[in-house]
Formats: sequence, structure tokens, C-alpha cells
Amino acid sequence: MSSPSSSRTGWKSVVLSHEMLLAAVLVAEWLLFYHFGTTTNRRGMVVGFGTIDRQFDILRHSCEIGLLALALTPVILTAGIDLSVGSLLGLCAILFGKFWHDAGLSIPLAAALTLLCGAIGGGLNAGLITKLRLPPLIVTLGTYSLFRGLAEAITHGSVTYTNFPPGFLFLGQERWLGVPTQAWVFLAVSLAMWLLVHRLTFGRSFRAIGFSPEGSRYAGLPVDRRVGLVYVLAGLISAVAALIYTARLGQAKADAGTGYELFAITAVVLGGTSIFGGRGSITGTLLGVAAIAVLKNGLATLPVVIRMNAAQEMSGLLTGALLLLALTGSVLPKLLSGLRTRRHGG
Amino acid sequence: MPAPAPSRTSAPLLTLHRAAKSFGGVRALRGVDFELRAGEVHALLGENGAGKSTLIKVITGAHRPDSGEIVIGNRTFDGLTPSLAQDLGIACIYQQPALFPDLTVEENIGLRLEANGMWRKIDWRARRSRAVELLRHVGAAIDPDAEIRSLSMPEQQLVEIACAVGSGASIVVMDEPTAALTQREQQQLFSVVRELRSGGVGVIYISHRLEEIFALADRVTVLRDGTSVGTHAVPSMDEPALIKLMVGREVAQLYPPAESSPGEIVLSVNRVGCAASGVHGVSLEVRQGEILGLAGLVGAGRTELARILFGQTPADAGEIKLNGKTITVNSPGEAIALGIAYVPEDRRKHGVILEMPIEQNMTMAIHRRIFPSAWLRFGRERSLALDFIRDLAVKCAGPDAPGGSLSGGNQQKVSLARWLATKPRLLILDEPTQGVDVGAKSEIHRIIRRLAKDGLAVIMISSDLPEVLGMSDRIGVMRGGTLTAVLPGGTDATTVMAAALGQTGEKGSS
Amino acid sequence: MNRYFRELSVMGALAVVLLGLAIFAPAFFQPQPLLSLVTREAPTLIVACGMAMVIITREIDISVGSLFSVCSVCAGLLAARGWPLILVLPVSMGVGALLGAINGVLVAGLRLPSIVVTLATMVTLRQGLNLIRQGEFVNLPESFQWFGLSQSAGQWTLVIFALLFLVALGLALRHVAAGRWIYAVGTDAEAARLAGLRPQWIVFAVFVILGALTGLAAIMNLVQSPQVQPMVGAGLELEVIAAVVVGGVAISGGRGNLWGAFAGLLLLTCVSPALTHLHIEAYWEKAIQGAIILLAVVADGVRRKKSNNG
Repeated sequence: MSSPSSSRTGWKSVVLSHEMLLAAVLVAEWLLFYHFGTTTNRRGMVVGFGTIDRQFDILRHSCEIGLLALALTPVILTAGIDLSVGSLLGLCAILFGKFWHDAGLSIPLAAALTLLCGAIGGGLNAGLITKLRLPPLIVTLGTYSLFRGLAEAITHGSVTYTNFPPGFLFLGQERWLGVPTQAWVFLAVSLAMWLLVHRLTFGRSFRAIGFSPEGSRYAGLPVDRRVGLVYVLAGLISAVAALIYTARLGQAKADAGTGYELFAITAVVLGGTSIFGGRGSITGTLLGVAAIAVLKNGLATLPVVIRMNAAQEMSGLLTGALLLLALTGSVLPKLLSGLRTRRHGG
Repeated sequence: MPAPAPSRTSAPLLTLHRAAKSFGGVRALRGVDFELRAGEVHALLGENGAGKSTLIKVITGAHRPDSGEIVIGNRTFDGLTPSLAQDLGIACIYQQPALFPDLTVEENIGLRLEANGMWRKIDWRARRSRAVELLRHVGAAIDPDAEIRSLSMPEQQLVEIACAVGSGASIVVMDEPTAALTQREQQQLFSVVRELRSGGVGVIYISHRLEEIFALADRVTVLRDGTSVGTHAVPSMDEPALIKLMVGREVAQLYPPAESSPGEIVLSVNRVGCAASGVHGVSLEVRQGEILGLAGLVGAGRTELARILFGQTPADAGEIKLNGKTITVNSPGEAIALGIAYVPEDRRKHGVILEMPIEQNMTMAIHRRIFPSAWLRFGRERSLALDFIRDLAVKCAGPDAPGGSLSGGNQQKVSLARWLATKPRLLILDEPTQGVDVGAKSEIHRIIRRLAKDGLAVIMISSDLPEVLGMSDRIGVMRGGTLTAVLPGGTDATTVMAAALGQTGEKGSS
Repeated sequence: MNRYFRELSVMGALAVVLLGLAIFAPAFFQPQPLLSLVTREAPTLIVACGMAMVIITREIDISVGSLFSVCSVCAGLLAARGWPLILVLPVSMGVGALLGAINGVLVAGLRLPSIVVTLATMVTLRQGLNLIRQGEFVNLPESFQWFGLSQSAGQWTLVIFALLFLVALGLALRHVAAGRWIYAVGTDAEAARLAGLRPQWIVFAVFVILGALTGLAAIMNLVQSPQVQPMVGAGLELEVIAAVVVGGVAISGGRGNLWGAFAGLLLLTCVSPALTHLHIEAYWEKAIQGAIILLAVVADGVRRKKSNNG
């Protein structure tokens, strides 16, 4: 099974050039932040963006959003959407804390149960969307509220689970083989998703369903099963992200993952995945995640931002604007060719 | 909505001079002359693909002709737009009603008929009374509060007719309006049409039911292959003459002949039906190496039968046997596993995914076989694609070119390849050469004949009469959801068309 | 009438809840707190009317919360500078309309999916506002409170205005041609185009209208408290969408009306005090909100499935 050399021609070449562009932007912004965000402090040490610690921080922070973005990529490929991933992350974090702290389960068992809960949450979305043919938009808007609400209700709005054993915190706060531990998890999931989307028939089906659900049915593809799979998978990965989040922060609170869905969706769209389905790639999503993570964290190192104490606001603002730009850019070629065909008549 | 005063001068309401229209390489209309007079019912006759719907679309403004002109009253146009046509008093009732499914009947009529103006206050009472009046006028027993979604097709058509009547149009086009109506509803429709005529309206009436044309029409124009082969006063014609005009002489086109005699029975269908799709009591057999052509008019139920065999709308009556074994087919997946393949009619929507590369389209139905354990084997896929590209002579930039970059004929070949890859025992083709240029057509014909020779049983649904005549070893004719005749290969066109029209002695409609 | 079945069932549910409250927690019906509750929700009703129109055209707008905040802050700053209400009101509505127009251009002009567009504008506006304001409150002049009237008079003014507005807009949707166009576009944009309407302009217009109404609602909220908090409007979008969807406006477009949205809003408004009186913690509110949305959508989905099979 060799990598197809000429599969990079035709329509794939467009995606590739999008990725190249994005990679260039990524490098550019990295250099920008390196230049403006790295200084030498009074003691003569290099601080700010250019330090290894900071880079690893970026890596750590990007794992959770990155996982959610990976989870959303197949969903968006099938022309669907899942707004509930951030809320599910919060709910799973709380459940994990509850399993371990209140139910006294061991960490591995609690983690396994949490993963199961994530899959069930995804399964709720999957069931409503495939069995009742409900629009993914409103279903996941409902579960976005429901999952977060359950997290708040379970914790009575205030309970925070802390004091996790160091063995667990290792996952989020330490390094393994020189690199933050969660990066290995992220790598594993990235690889698995890449295989799923680009090397297994599942990815093929996802695209076909995104381009033409009816046409896929005529071709004998099990459309409902595939669509159900992507939502269950999204739930499962949200649970993984919850574990990593909890390990990184050392605590599980009901507001875990609030607002993450925006960053995840932006990363996916930035990475070249079409919001209308069919087109997209995991590598694009990874680049998108990197671009956003660097942006988010790099901003916090700029002196002007530090002075204004506006890191969160700036990153949110720029990410929102970035999403709008990416969307506009993605739709322009379609719009232009649409104008052309309309002139030629029906 | 005042009816125009009856005109005794029978001045032409609408005249087409040498209207021509092509789509891609296909010439749908080649210089058609047509004239509609006030106060007449002018029937338009022709087999599928003769150009009737294109002509209608030119008249209603949905298409602009490539050349020729349209004269309405004393104004000449190069082409119309839908709103211009509406302003000129042209109304059309298509076979697929263009109504708003979630709105009520009254609302639909209102939206259609009321003048545009944003801040106009809606007079619901006037709207209601007009809707009630119009519905009564066309004899439709329909509740004006009913949602369109809840109405049956015939009821929706009647609403459309009510709109047309209400718009005070002077030119009304009706495209097969009685296709789904009961006897009683038809009679009511006829009286509506007659009333329109006596009011000076010109009606263009498309129908395949010759008895209707004789009952209703004043003149008839027959289209064949995009040209008009004559306009005649109806009383001066009889059925055989009309059919002869429609079909013309036997086309001296070479079709690849059968080279071997058919083998074992592959498919045996006994009184199969599916209530939801209107198919009932179909019995037929297809053998290995045989091409069974399936002729019939649009709406006769041929595609519905194919969908039953392919498991999309499973049969709820009768028995299906494949190679002697009784089978049930409940999904396309099951059909594929059993060795039944269906190449759908609408290749752009269902046959080929335009955005995906050719090779991926070709392997779309055989993932389980060609990619065991779900790994994508690009090498295998590539070589399969190259094989098919060679065997079927697909003209493309490469196996990774997107499906949308191909011409219609080559897209059809890709669609065919997808299903051949499933190594079927029974291949059902639905309009395999529709919208395909002449050159690719004969290539596809040769391919189909070769497939049959290699042992496939083939059912070929086609509305192209010469194609059915030239390709089929036997010809099945469907009408009204059932198989009405199975004729031997080599039957002449007139007999087949007569069977399709139901002129085999049995008169009347469903 | 079968046509209003959905709306009637919501009103029925509301009646049940009110009955339950009357029996188990009659304190709910004390006039002053009840008036205050209803007054607090009056701005939400205005926004819900606009949202219903957007959803009927088969789109959605989750940026209304941020829009609300921006309009509130703008209006508050002008008021603090001494501008009178007469001038502040149109400015607020204008700002709202402008922001709504941005959404409208992206959705109707560029044909982008409204969920993602409004997700982006929601965050951009919220973070932009936080950046500029840094969480600062805006203190409002006393003359602004309750339009300068007594609290009670001000409350009644707001409530009566909201109800009149609801009735006026509801009637317009039913009896003015432009109102029917909204339904036509939501049902089948292609058919609407063929019938001579211009779907893109209609979609654009409803986004602008929603923005303007949000600006109006911001003012209605402004007069109720002495300051403008930076987080005002957070969560508004979910509250409004839930009310509208529960009230029978279908996400798939083309059906529903303002009466249902009103009933849905009342129902959801009663849920939270009902919870309090039933001694269920307030923290269940969001979960119940989400569950109600899902139930409403599932019910619609099941009903649609049955009618398609029958």
C-alpha cells in the first residue's frame, strides 16, 4: 500500500495549495511572535515566545482544542456540524472527577468510564440525527445546552474536583521523552484520525456523503451508519480532551471547555475543510490548530498585549475575524464560478 | 380575472419561428415553427426526447432559444424570461407542481396571483373567496386550508390549474395534466379546458393519450427529433396516422447484433408490486446474455420497477427469483451483494459524484470487496480504474480527474463502470444514453452488447425508441405501473409505440 | 384548528405549569415580583420576535447576545454623556441594524451557513467589546431609569409596549404581503424565486430587522437598571432560540408564528421560578433548557416522520 503520487493532482492539488498557504501563514506568524514576543529580561535570560517552555505551553494548550478539531473534521466532512463538543468536554471532566472522587474508582477505571460517557453523549447526537433525521444544527445546539447544564447541575455550580494523584497529572503537566505528555496522546489520535479519513474507506464514505447523501445511498453506502459514527467518535474524543484538560489544570470544573467549539470549528475551516462537506483533510486541520494555538499564545507574549492585559479578548477577536475571512475566502471561487455558469444559461 | 372576449379572427396568439436550442452537444430543438391561435386547443405530440419539454420551456421563458424568434401579439422576442412570460399572459402547468409545500392552498394561490407589493395588506377574505371560487371552477374538492404537502399529486395539479385559470392567462400550457387523474377528474379537467377555449384562451396541450387529443384538441403538432413533422387539424387524422408521424421510418442505424443465444434464466419476477410506487402485477424473465428492453412512456413505472429490484423501494407483493433462488431485496447493499446492479437515470445526482475523482467513483460500490479490512488500496483502485477507462474508452484527463470534468457520455461510462465493478449477474440500465452525443451512444451500445455476450442479463430501460428496437432481444412494454406486453425483438416501432400508448385494443385510462 | 395545534399544545403546557404553580407555589403570583419578572423578559420577547422571523427563513442567528451587549454599551455611553432617550433609541437600533446587516451580507450575499457566520460574529463582537471596555460598567443617569417615570409606571410601559409590538408584528406577518414572503422563502427558496420574489433580499432583511429589534430591546433593558454591565446579554441567544423552537417555529423553516414564540417564552420563563419554588436548584436551568429544546425538536421530527409515512 503505497502513497499515491498522482493523487495529488486534480482536485487534491487545490487542497494542497491551501495547506501550503496555511503553512506559510503559520511560519510567518511564528516568526512574527518570535520577533516581537521574545525579550531578554533583567537577569539576561531569554523570556517570552522564543523559549522552549513557551513552545511547550503552546503545545499543551493546543492539545485539547486540537482534539476537538480532529473530532469535528469528519463531522464537517459529512456536511454536518457538532456544537456540543465543548460542553461535552466539560461534562466529561466533571464526570471523571465524580467517578474518581465521589465514587472512589481508580483513575484508569474512572477514565474508561468517562470515555464511555463521551461516546454515549455523541451517541445521543448520532441517534437524533440519523434516526429522526433532525438537523445537526439544532440537535447539537440542544445538547450544547444540555451537556453544559448537566455539568453545572451535577456540581451545583460550584464543586471543583482537585487533588488528583500525580500519576494522573503527569498526563497534563509533565513531559515524556522530552515532550509534554499529552502531545503523545494528541499524536496518537491525530494518526488514528488521519488513517480513518485518508487511508480507510470510512473517510471516502464521509466525503461522498458530504458531497451527495442521495448519491451515496444509490451507491449502496451505509449512510446512516457512517453519519452516526462520526458523532459518536466526536463524543469519544471530547472525553479524551476532557481527561487531558483536567490533567493539565489539575482540576475539573463545570466550565471546562467553554468556548472551545469556536476555536475548533475555526481550526477546521481554516485548514481547508469546506463547511458544505466533502472537501478537507486532517493535515489541514492540524495546521489550522497550530495556526490558532500560535496566535492565541503568541498574542499573550506581545508587550502591548501584556500591558493591556487583553490576551483572551485579542485572541477571541482575531479568531472570530479569522473564521469570517476563512469562510469568505472558501466560498469566493464557488461564487465566481456560479456567476459564470449562470451567464451561460440553464 | 376577466376572460378575454372570444375572438373570431383566430389570430395567432403565439408564433415560434425556427426556434433552436442545444444543450452541450445535444440539439434539443432544431428550428421549430409553431403557431398557437386564440380559442384553440393545440396538442403537442411526440415521443420522449422529441423536444416537447424544451419547446415548452422556451415558451414559458425557462430557457432562451439559441436562435429563432417568438412572436406574441405584435411583439417579437429573441427569448423570454419567466416573469416576462407571466406578464405576457403565459401560464404553465408542469408535471411537477411548483407549489410551496408547507403553505396552504389558499396561500399558494394568493402568492401566485396577487400583484407584487411589499406593504400591501392581505385581504384574507378576498383571498379565501377567490381560492374557493377557483377550486370550485376546476372541480377540485380541496380544502383551501390544507397544506400542499398533505395533498396528493393530482390534487396539487388541480391547484396549479386553478392558479393558471385565475391568472387570466391568454396562453395556457398543460404538460400531461391527466397523467395522475381519475376518470371523473379528467372529465372535469376537459370541461375546464373547453371553457378556457371558448373564452378565447389558447391552450397548448401535451399528452400521450391519443383519445384525449381526439376528444379535446383542434389541431395537433407532432415533434420528432427536435423538429416539427407537421401540424394537422385533428379531425383529419386518425390514430395510425398520428403514430406513424411520431415514430417515422425505421432509423437506419446500425446496432450491434446479438451474437449468441440467451442462456439460463437469471431473473424471474412473478406478479411483483410495490404499493407505494404504484407498480403492480409485473411478471417477467431475463436470461443470461439477453438484453430485455423496457419501453414505455414517462411515468409508466419502469424506473419504479428498477428501484424495486434494486432494493430501494422493496417489493411488498409477488416473488423475485435470482438464478432460481427466491430472494428478498431490502436495500441497495443487499442488491449489490446478490449481484444486482442498477445504473440510475439521473447520472448527475445519483450516478456520479462530480466532485470526486473518476477512480473513486468507480470503486464506490465495491469497498468491501476491493478494500478488505477497510484499508484503501490506491494501487488496486488505480489499476481497476485504468482497466475500465481502457475497456470503456472513457475520454478523460486521467483517473484522478473529477467526475464533473467529463462529458455526459463519459460520465455515463464511469457510472457504468462503477456497477460493472460489482460483477453483477443482472444489470439494470436506466436511460443509458440520455443526453449523450451520437458517438458515445454507439460506443455505449457496443459495450452493452459485449456485456450481454459475456454472460450478463441486462434490463435496459429506454425512452429512445430506435435504441430499444435496435438493442433489445426482447421488448417489455410498461404502462400504468404494470407490464402490458412482451414483444419479440425486431418488432416494428409502431407496434411498440401503440403498446406503450395503450392502443392494443384496450381503451381508457387507469 | 389543526394548523395551530403546535402552538395550542405549548399554551396547554404553559397552562399546566401555571396551574401547578398556583397550587404549589402561589407566592409566584404576587403582583409586584410577577410584574418585575415579566418586565425583565419584555426585551427578550422583542428579540424572540425577530429571531422567529430569521428561523422561519431557515436561517439562525446566535450572535444576538453579543449584539445586545454592543448596543447596550453604545446606548449607555451616549446616555451617560447626556443624550436624551429620543436620540439614544434610534442610535441603538441603528447599530443593531448595521451589525445585523453584516450577518445578512455574509449569509444572504455570500451564501455562507448562518450558524458558522453568526458563531464568528458572536465571538468577534463579544471579545471586541471586552477589549475596548475592559469589563467596565457604564453608569446611567437617573433620568434614564424607567423613562424618568416611577418604577411601576415604567414597568407597565415596557410590558404594554412589548405586548402591543408582539400583536402588531404578529398581525403583520399574517396580513402584510412582505410577511408572507418570509414564509415562502423559508419553505422553498427556489419556488419563491420562480414566483417572482427575491429570496436573498428577504433573508438579508430579516437579519437587519433582528439586529434593529435587538437594539430596541437593549434600550428596553437599559431603562431597568442604573448601570450597564459588560456581560449583559450573555446567553440571550440560547434563551431566545429555545423559546422560539419550543413555540413551534421549525428549524427547517416555513412554519411557526409569533404567538407560539410568545407562549414558548412564557413557558421557559416560568420554568426557572417554578424550579425555585419546587426547591430544585437553579443550576438545573441550563440542562432543562437544553432538554426542552431537544424534546420540542424531537416531537416535531416524530410528527414529520409520521406524516411522511402516512
